Amino acid sequence: VNRVWVVGTAAVTALGEDPDALWGGIISGTTGIGTLARFSTQGYKSHVAACVPGLRSPGPGSLVNALLDRLCARLPPLPPDTLLIASTTKGGVDCLERISRGLPAHPDDIPLPALGAALRRRLGLTTPGFTVSAACASGSIALGRGAQLIASGAATSVLVVGFDALSEFIFSGFSALQALSPGPCMPFDRGRSGLTLGEGAAALLLASPERARNEGREPVGEIIGWGAANDAVHITAPARDSRGLIQAIRAALTHAGIEPGDVGGVSAHGTGTIYNDLMELNAFRTVFGERDVPVYGVKGALGHTLGAAGAIETTLALRALAEGFVPGTIGCTDPDPAAAGMVSANSSPLLGPCILLTNSGFGGVNAALLLRGKPS
Amino acid sequence: VKIFVTGAGWVGAAGMGVGRGPAAFSLPPGFLPPISRQDVFPEPDSRFGRLDAFSRLALAGVALALRDAGIETWTQPRAAAIAASTAYGCTGTDLDYLATLGQAPGLASPQLFAYTLPNVFLGEAAIRFGLTGPTLIVSDEEGTGAAALDTALDYIAAGGDVALAGICDLVRPAQLPEHAAPPPGALFFVLERRPTFEPLGELTAPGVRHGEPGDTEGLRALAQRLCTGNRTAPTSTTRKGRS
Repeated sequence: VNRVWVVGTAAVTALGEDPDALWGGIISGTTGIGTLARFSTQGYKSHVAACVPGLRSPGPGSLVNALLDRLCARLPPLPPDTLLIASTTKGGVDCLERISRGLPAHPDDIPLPALGAALRRRLGLTTPGFTVSAACASGSIALGRGAQLIASGAATSVLVVGFDALSEFIFSGFSALQALSPGPCMPFDRGRSGLTLGEGAAALLLASPERARNEGREPVGEIIGWGAANDAVHITAPARDSRGLIQAIRAALTHAGIEPGDVGGVSAHGTGTIYNDLMELNAFRTVFGERDVPVYGVKGALGHTLGAAGAIETTLALRALAEGFVPGTIGCTDPDPAAAGMVSANSSPLLGPCILLTNSGFGGVNAALLLRGKPS
Repeated sequence: VKIFVTGAGWVGAAGMGVGRGPAAFSLPPGFLPPISRQDVFPEPDSRFGRLDAFSRLALAGVALALRDAGIETWTQPRAAAIAASTAYGCTGTDLDYLATLGQAPGLASPQLFAYTLPNVFLGEAAIRFGLTGPTLIVSDEEGTGAAALDTALDYIAAGGDVALAGICDLVRPAQLPEHAAPPPGALFFVLERRPTFEPLGELTAPGVRHGEPGDTEGLRALAQRLCTGNRTAPTSTTRKGRS
């Protein structure tokens, strides 16, 4: 079994165009959430979102293309045989939205694998890739799949790219579900009332150690465990007993061959919805017992970036491992009683060598990754 | 790792079929007939009629495959994975949802929105059949379902007992261009580490070495190889038993 090194990262979010800007914004307590101007929010439950500044589609293609243009400009040189795994929830649904309104749009961007295939061609990669879609856990499940392919030897170089752009389709849907917070979301806070949507893209280049050494690539961290599970309870609501997330975390721990005591911090999904946050806190208490592992979420700064969330949050977690501390949770000033001792507005030192990262989503999906810092 | 193909089910323009049925696999081009609950489940099912067309089609394929493998019914949840490929996914549902949004922002349908993610039918299958393993859409560029099959094989190779791999697409919406996708329909396979019944065939994992051409078998090709018709349903005389 090969180890899985992360040898490159890139990210475009509401906080900037690269991982340094992202990390700098998060640790300084900056939020990318602001008044949403891309479309009229009249009649919706919220008027705020975390949009990438200045993002515009140059033509009838999906806005995702503009997002990926910015991301591609930051990618390191890639070996042509790199396998591309894309992750998205709704891909080019903004084009479908425009078609339904009789506006010019590029229908080729709409089929699920289309944007990933176009990205592969743009990057000059020769190995046919695939697109993972698993709701809000798409990014972390794609990373787990990429790691599995490296570990088994089925691939030696994998680029995982998570992306989603904010569209009225998505915004209206979460509004209809009464899931949007009127103001910026407040993950794990006693006064939380829903999520805030965002957009972004992130890329992580995974490689086997042998391949990385041969190409002179320095690792920034490792993916040492992964797991996923379905609640099998409800298609939109989380399981209140956290069964799926607990199963996913335990699968990741088993895969990594480590104990809960080795986990020094948790990058939580932290949407800011009442039930999802409680479900997560219950899962962490079940897995970690009375040990107060520092838990943080970044959606108070970045919004919920859907299919990009897992990739963006992994990029941040690797930086946290390098720095030796986890950031505070922006938007959480009065932690829910269930979060007491775990979630804070301030940064906290890591209590162990690994970070657990979790995401959950519609369809009952749950995903967990275990990350370790730069290999010595 | 040796992995057994223990069930197959499909729904297409030519009707429904299973691996151990009298008819050979067929997923021809054409229009899909509407799928009613009675076509799939003998007993009442309060959820099926409320599902969108994409979820109904996919759930029917999953049900037939599990039934063919003899593991449709359950009493305890099972950590079985489902990996499925789709090109157009729930685009028809997306258009229905957009029609409600077009009336007025406040009239957008939350019920329809819940089915505008292509993976949601996997949640329906998980609930209906007690499947608690990983569930994901994994759509390859060529539309063969090879990446879904590979994902399911790797799940078992890594220690899982049961996984399903499938492809599912409705008739292409007129608004979309032709994309690499098989003819409309659903095709699902059940893969097991330890078969209860005489299997349809065997596979090995890992199945694909990425970057090396020529070794990827898609799901339609697998069905054409294994589902040749004139097979009988599993009975006690063909039962191999778990070791």
